[in-house]
Amino acid sequence: MENAKQAVILAAGEGERLRPFTALKPKVMIPVANKPILQYVVEALARSGIRNIVMVVGYKKEQVLDFFGSGERFDVDISYVFQEQQLGTAHALRQAKDVVGDRFLVLPGDNLVDAETLSSIIQAESATILIKEQENVSKYGVVTVRGGVVEAIEEKTKEARSNLVNTGIYMFNREIFDFAEGEVDLTSALGNMIARGGSVAAQVTGGTWLDVVYPWDILEVNDAALRTIDATAAGSIEKGVTLKGLVSVGRDTVIRSNTYIVGPVIIGDNCDIGPSVCILPATSIGDNTVVSSFTQIENCAIGADVQIGPSSTIDDSVIDRGSRLKGHLIARSGEVDVKIEGEYHRVEVGAMLGEYCHMEGGVNINPGVLVGNHSQVKAMKLLGQDIPDGSLVV
Amino acid sequence: MCGIVGYVGGREAQPILIDSMKRLEYRGYDSCGIALVEGGVRVYKDAVRVGKLERDLPRDPKGRMGIGHTRWATHGKPSRVNAHPHLDCSGRIAVVHNGVIGNFMSLREKLEAEGHVFQSETDTEVLPHLVEKYYRGDLEEAVMGALRDIRGSYAFIVMEVDSPLLVAAKKESPLILGVGDREYFVASDVPAVLDHTDRVVYLEDDDIVRLSPLEIKITNNGQAVTRQEHAIPWGVEDAQKGGYEHFMLKEIHEQPKVIQNALKGHISALEPVMNLDVHPERDIDNILLVACGTSYHAALVGRYVIEHLARIPVRVEVASEFNYGDWVLGKTWAIGITQSGETADTLNALRRAGKRGCGTLAITNVVGSSVTRIADQVFYMGAGPEIGVPATKSFLAQLMAFYLLALSLKATDTHSLEGLIADLRLLPGMVQNILDREDEFAECGRYLVDYNEMFLVGRGINYPVVLEGALKLQEVAYIHASGYAAGELKHGPFALLTPRCPVIAVAARDNTYDTLMANIKEIKARESPVIALAEEGDRDIEKYVDRVVRVPAVNPLFSPVVNSVALQLIAYYAARGRDCDIDMPRNLAKSVTVE
Repeated sequence: MENAKQAVILAAGEGERLRPFTALKPKVMIPVANKPILQYVVEALARSGIRNIVMVVGYKKEQVLDFFGSGERFDVDISYVFQEQQLGTAHALRQAKDVVGDRFLVLPGDNLVDAETLSSIIQAESATILIKEQENVSKYGVVTVRGGVVEAIEEKTKEARSNLVNTGIYMFNREIFDFAEGEVDLTSALGNMIARGGSVAAQVTGGTWLDVVYPWDILEVNDAALRTIDATAAGSIEKGVTLKGLVSVGRDTVIRSNTYIVGPVIIGDNCDIGPSVCILPATSIGDNTVVSSFTQIENCAIGADVQIGPSSTIDDSVIDRGSRLKGHLIARSGEVDVKIEGEYHRVEVGAMLGEYCHMEGGVNINPGVLVGNHSQVKAMKLLGQDIPDGSLVV
Repeated sequence: MCGIVGYVGGREAQPILIDSMKRLEYRGYDSCGIALVEGGVRVYKDAVRVGKLERDLPRDPKGRMGIGHTRWATHGKPSRVNAHPHLDCSGRIAVVHNGVIGNFMSLREKLEAEGHVFQSETDTEVLPHLVEKYYRGDLEEAVMGALRDIRGSYAFIVMEVDSPLLVAAKKESPLILGVGDREYFVASDVPAVLDHTDRVVYLEDDDIVRLSPLEIKITNNGQAVTRQEHAIPWGVEDAQKGGYEHFMLKEIHEQPKVIQNALKGHISALEPVMNLDVHPERDIDNILLVACGTSYHAALVGRYVIEHLARIPVRVEVASEFNYGDWVLGKTWAIGITQSGETADTLNALRRAGKRGCGTLAITNVVGSSVTRIADQVFYMGAGPEIGVPATKSFLAQLMAFYLLALSLKATDTHSLEGLIADLRLLPGMVQNILDREDEFAECGRYLVDYNEMFLVGRGINYPVVLEGALKLQEVAYIHASGYAAGELKHGPFALLTPRCPVIAVAARDNTYDTLMANIKEIKARESPVIALAEEGDRDIEKYVDRVVRVPAVNPLFSPVVNSVALQLIAYYAARGRDCDIDMPRNLAKSVTVE
């Protein structure tokens, strides 16, 4: 059977548990190693020879349109359908009913995958779920399979009967629409199919499949993605700079004297780093970002258009785009309980800053603190707890 | 003002011409037409948009050579008979033309006396008849004969039923060649050919080109010449809507990237050397900015920026007015601003200043455009192709050009520049912030839907911003909007203030703020609804106005950037609410190549 030629990417969701990072952009646009998660999905499809892509967009859709356009930059052909209200995956797919052909792949836009992930499913002819072995299955839909055929899909069950989870990646024929009518999620649609005597196949993947559920997951996925970058040194690297390991430096970027960088590290285009800056493993720095002298950064995801002043120490932290941090900022890692939607999670993490924050000199941020977008913090303040979007700390 | 295209090669010409014309429609869209050679010359044309023409075409008109045209009327109203292509008496020769034949009246009378019969009111129609008159079996020679007779500006393409080639000629109107694989394209602008090739040749004035499927030959004043082939760095992506309903909205959304690109490689906190490719003229005591329309508004902002940062006196002139005055010019650096590089008035103004001994600089967006051959130096805005007729991202790119230019003129003083550089770096994020809150501006736009007249007022560096905002509301939303310096409203326009005439006040927190508040109170007292564009955190303003639309707080010097984007969105959503044809407003065209 020949490979599928068309794919539908579900990219309409918000990702509420990832606030503040999803207050201004959809989950699929969260950058990981300087590329939005959705770009990994698009590239995996392009490498698998699938160039006809339908994107279902909704929440903050302009961010997706602005970045991907018609897909020319990624050597694919993208068309868009709009899901005005995010009413589940089955509802999302129904929006694409008029534009899909006889056989098409469906993928979530917010899970990081590569071409290898998809290799076992792209030849499937009839309804097929891509599944993956997982140690901890509690967060996912668990699939029970007999002889390559799916028996049941159970959502977030306590007593899992298998260690195979649903990746949310499917091959479908148009008949899926007969079972998806009125349903919220695609798993229910597949349940209908099975209940009415249809057959759903399962394919196992050994490829990359990473999900970002909570803000600190960004760091783990960032780390994983950084291990796959190509080491390149564009821009201008002054005398006395040390680059070790896998380091990628973008165009028009200046790395100034005595800066010490240990990969995996990616630095975007048009950045201004140093002099005497220390950037340690698992760090990404977006385009147009400035890191001033005597600052040390380790295991961080730093967005585009950020300005980090001198003598700052930042580790295990996420700093989203556009923030201006005036120097002597301390955001250190520690083991803490972070509360998301009423639930506590014990994690080791630094600060998590939303977009366009402005911090004057000498601010200290406690481990695990979530700082809302557009927050302003006056000099020498200690941020001991989460602050909402648009806060002013005086 | 008009778009022309020609194709010769191995494929069916009709779909290629239609697609190219759609990409040229921004240059004019009141009528359009194509001509194909298949047995005879067949012409399909009407006073319709390209999409309609395409639907009305007979199924599969054949022909591997053809020409197409999309029109913005100058001579003769939009109608089927005035639409191009135009034919000679025998119907064997077809022409599409962009430009103005200045002496067409006398030529027409002469040709009519010789027995030629004209169909249309256009200046163009003299071309096919002249070519007919001189045709002795060689189309290129006939074109050269015709060119000896005509005065004016032109880019035109001719074909003749028995000649397996196209002949194109150019003077003062843009024309490019697209080089494909055993096929050639000739068009007014690059986007027309990008679907088929990224190899482009920019033609120069007085070039005459023969295009056959096998080769192109360019001559200039009888001499064979070669012109350099350029690879176009941008793709079809830039000329597509990419999921947006209108180019205008897509281009508004491109603006954070436009700012980033403008700043790329030019600013750094540690070494604020600008690395611009432009070298300021030495020994100047003033700067003259000449431009039209939106570019003129950018120039007015440029005056504030240059005078404030570089302390050099600047005067700004509307190009079409500059050209007719007897002005005093001293040691002047003349800077012309034109997005397309083809705006006739601006080109003439630069030529005029050059003749008077001034150094000249062009700020333009189009590589190889006419202005780049007139000016001593060129500053490319790098906004990428702007397809929507209402200028948005090109205006922002022009503002960025002035900021960079002013900073490069400023005596190097690292310390005072440091803050400015940091603020400049924040701009893309500030504009993105506005886009992220699009709904708030959309709501303001929808509020304006029911009003037919309004004022926009601002002071200081935001005075030009309200002029531009008013222009946007006029051209896309068809609202009779006027921009005024806030202090000027009481000197007459106050008589027009009523509850049916809202006023938008742009309230930057600079030294103009307090007087603007006083002006707002005066306006409120005349019962006009007042909407303020105010900074985040400005709580006082709520006391004075009916509605507040928030823009992010920025250095006042850069406030035109955020305020302009806000007004673009408001105009866009007002236009949507009024069901206007946003990307192609009535009666307009993208670049105006007539005076």
